[in-house]
Amino acid sequence: MNNAVETPVVNRGNAVLKEILSGGATRALLSVVLGFVVGALFMVFSNEAFLTAAQYFTARPADSLAAAWTAIADGYSALFRGSIYNYAADDIVVAFRPLTETLRFAGPLIASGLGIALAFRVGLFNIGASGQLLFGALWATWISTRVSLPWGVHLVVAALVAILASAAYAAVVGFLKARTGAHEVIVTIMMNYIAAGILTYFFRTPELLREVDGGGTPKSDAPAETAQLPYLLGDQYTLHWGFILAIVGVFAYWWIMERSTMGYRFRMVGHNPDAARTAGINVERTFMIAMAVSGAFVGLAAVNQALGARAGMTPDIDGTIGFDAITVALLGSSTAPGVLLAGLLFGAFKAGAPAMQVIGLSPEITGVVQGFIVLFIAAPPLVRAIFRLPPPQKSTVVADWWRSLVTKGGRK
Amino acid sequence: MKNITSRAWTGLALASAATVILTGCAAAPTDTAGPVAQIDYLACAVSDEGSWHDKSFNQSVYEGLVKAKDELGVQTADAESATPDDFAPNLQAMVDQKCDITIAVGFNLVDAVNATAEANPDMNFVTVDGWSNGATNLKPINYAMNQSSYLAGYLAAAQSASKVVGTYGGMQIPAVTDFMTGFYYGAMQWGMDNATDVKVVGWDPASEKGDFIGDFTPNSGTSKTIAAGQIEAGADVIFPVGGDQFGAVSEAITESGVDGRMIGVDKDIAAASPEYAQWILTSAEKRMTLAVFDIIKQTAVDGQAFTGDVYLGTLENGGTALSPITNYSGAQAQADVEAKLAELQAGIIDGSINPLG
Repeated sequence: MNNAVETPVVNRGNAVLKEILSGGATRALLSVVLGFVVGALFMVFSNEAFLTAAQYFTARPADSLAAAWTAIADGYSALFRGSIYNYAADDIVVAFRPLTETLRFAGPLIASGLGIALAFRVGLFNIGASGQLLFGALWATWISTRVSLPWGVHLVVAALVAILASAAYAAVVGFLKARTGAHEVIVTIMMNYIAAGILTYFFRTPELLREVDGGGTPKSDAPAETAQLPYLLGDQYTLHWGFILAIVGVFAYWWIMERSTMGYRFRMVGHNPDAARTAGINVERTFMIAMAVSGAFVGLAAVNQALGARAGMTPDIDGTIGFDAITVALLGSSTAPGVLLAGLLFGAFKAGAPAMQVIGLSPEITGVVQGFIVLFIAAPPLVRAIFRLPPPQKSTVVADWWRSLVTKGGRK
Repeated sequence: MKNITSRAWTGLALASAATVILTGCAAAPTDTAGPVAQIDYLACAVSDEGSWHDKSFNQSVYEGLVKAKDELGVQTADAESATPDDFAPNLQAMVDQKCDITIAVGFNLVDAVNATAEANPDMNFVTVDGWSNGATNLKPINYAMNQSSYLAGYLAAAQSASKVVGTYGGMQIPAVTDFMTGFYYGAMQWGMDNATDVKVVGWDPASEKGDFIGDFTPNSGTSKTIAAGQIEAGADVIFPVGGDQFGAVSEAITESGVDGRMIGVDKDIAAASPEYAQWILTSAEKRMTLAVFDIIKQTAVDGQAFTGDVYLGTLENGGTALSPITNYSGAQAQADVEAKLAELQAGIIDGSINPLG
């Protein structure tokens, strides 16, 4: 703290990012808990029974408290029923469907979260997951609806093409950054629109990808059966092999980042590009490669979306995955296990949202919870950066307590 | 630091406690009795992308559901879809909730609702603007919107000073172009009746080419650009078929300085959105509220069996109609035009006039 003047101003954004990501599991966990608390407040204050009871709070406070408790309990038990286990179901197959839905929604979130996380670790903000996903999905759809190949080969080719297409689309950003210095945030955002435009054009033009015998809607055919990701647990669940691909992606990410030479370069550039350059690393090339690999992970999400479908697809096939992926990467501190867990959590939110809506909760509640989780994670370093406050002292009560636990037994 | 935070929390707690005490001193209610006897029937609905309060077709269906709840005493559940990924899970949530009837709103849900209906043959589904691929437990609600749009087109041509009228759609899908085609032939009919050249910009039923926004985003920049382009081409009455595009069209009219009008869709826009009333000539109503309420009433109260037969809203059964005419300033007297419209309506109902050319 004594020589703050010497800190290079150029890397302030980078430093904030690094600090956000270095929060660790404790901060992530506490943020999730706080997010749920805020969600509970929203449920209470949007609950009609509570608002009615609150008008005579002084006369009969128990009514308000009971209504508040009911609102929270109903809301979160609906989330549980919709995302993990439906205890109200008649048979066991139906009861477990929510869990499979959570995994199905988690697949693309994990995959694209890994892509964003990888870019974060290199010090890049890849805001372009939605565009990369759309571009990958476009070519996956091309292979799966316009090319016929034997069973097995078809799926593999379609998946590889999607991953390569997404990687290539992201690599363009890396190329522009390396060659011209164009900022990747601007370029990735712009390229989201370009991809959406291209996909819509392909989906609405009959000679390209528009549904054969379709109306005028921009919509593709369903992927050929040979190119569909098979159901993982039989026909009673829509969970497909895309989730397994995402898990494979988690291991691949871990290996790349923690074990490979390429990952070592990524991390070095992420820590300090100037030092990396001095050490002989070609930073520009690393940016390009990192964006390509980031895009490849997003391509796995494209495979999930485009080949996991059983019906024709519309141009909004990316849903909100592209931006949810950023929150997944942040919550997961850009580590492989973190992204896996964050993806599962956000998948559960998606799976549970319908059940929450059915009992009359606003569909925005889970979005609010997600938003607050990320806010709680990212806010402290951001606020410090904006007001140029000094970083917190290392020894806090919790940290001391934690260290005392860890060092018990003579470990130094 | 710590002191400030804890003081802030105390302040916040005091403030909220004060709020509760100040606002919470009404007397506690003693007993409650519902206005309508509750019946054991659960009516459910899943929206297309967009909210229940879109001032357009999602909202029309939702109002039917609310009406059924208020007047028939049925229970209801609903879910909004934010993306196409939500369609199937939302429908599944209704199945899990054991809904007696589930209404899927919009053409976009047609694949999802057909799949869900086939997977749950003992439950009943309704698709608004969609169709059944063969499931008998799926009832389509469709509308002959060309009929009321034909009348709207005729009125638009009568109103227009330039004798150029415009129409554009959200997406080029049958549920949208049906309006536009009716509008086109209605406007042409006025031209024939009065031996005047009338031009329709934005849609040509013969070549199936026209102006489309590409989505149903309310009042997008694209929408305004299309409206402005049609005004530039001389149009002074515009019929935007894409949910709430009335903000975009009214802005385009105001900015161009022409004495323009617009024609509402789905609901009586002059009544539903008074902020646009000063530009509204009439609206081509698609009365989904009525259809939804009737179907719930038939199965929940009247004891009729649910069938997969198509419900088709027409001028004859009142499923579609023209709203009251406002802001008319055409050369012909309004009474004459209204008499002619009544004549055309009778012709459409008895089949002597084909609104599709």
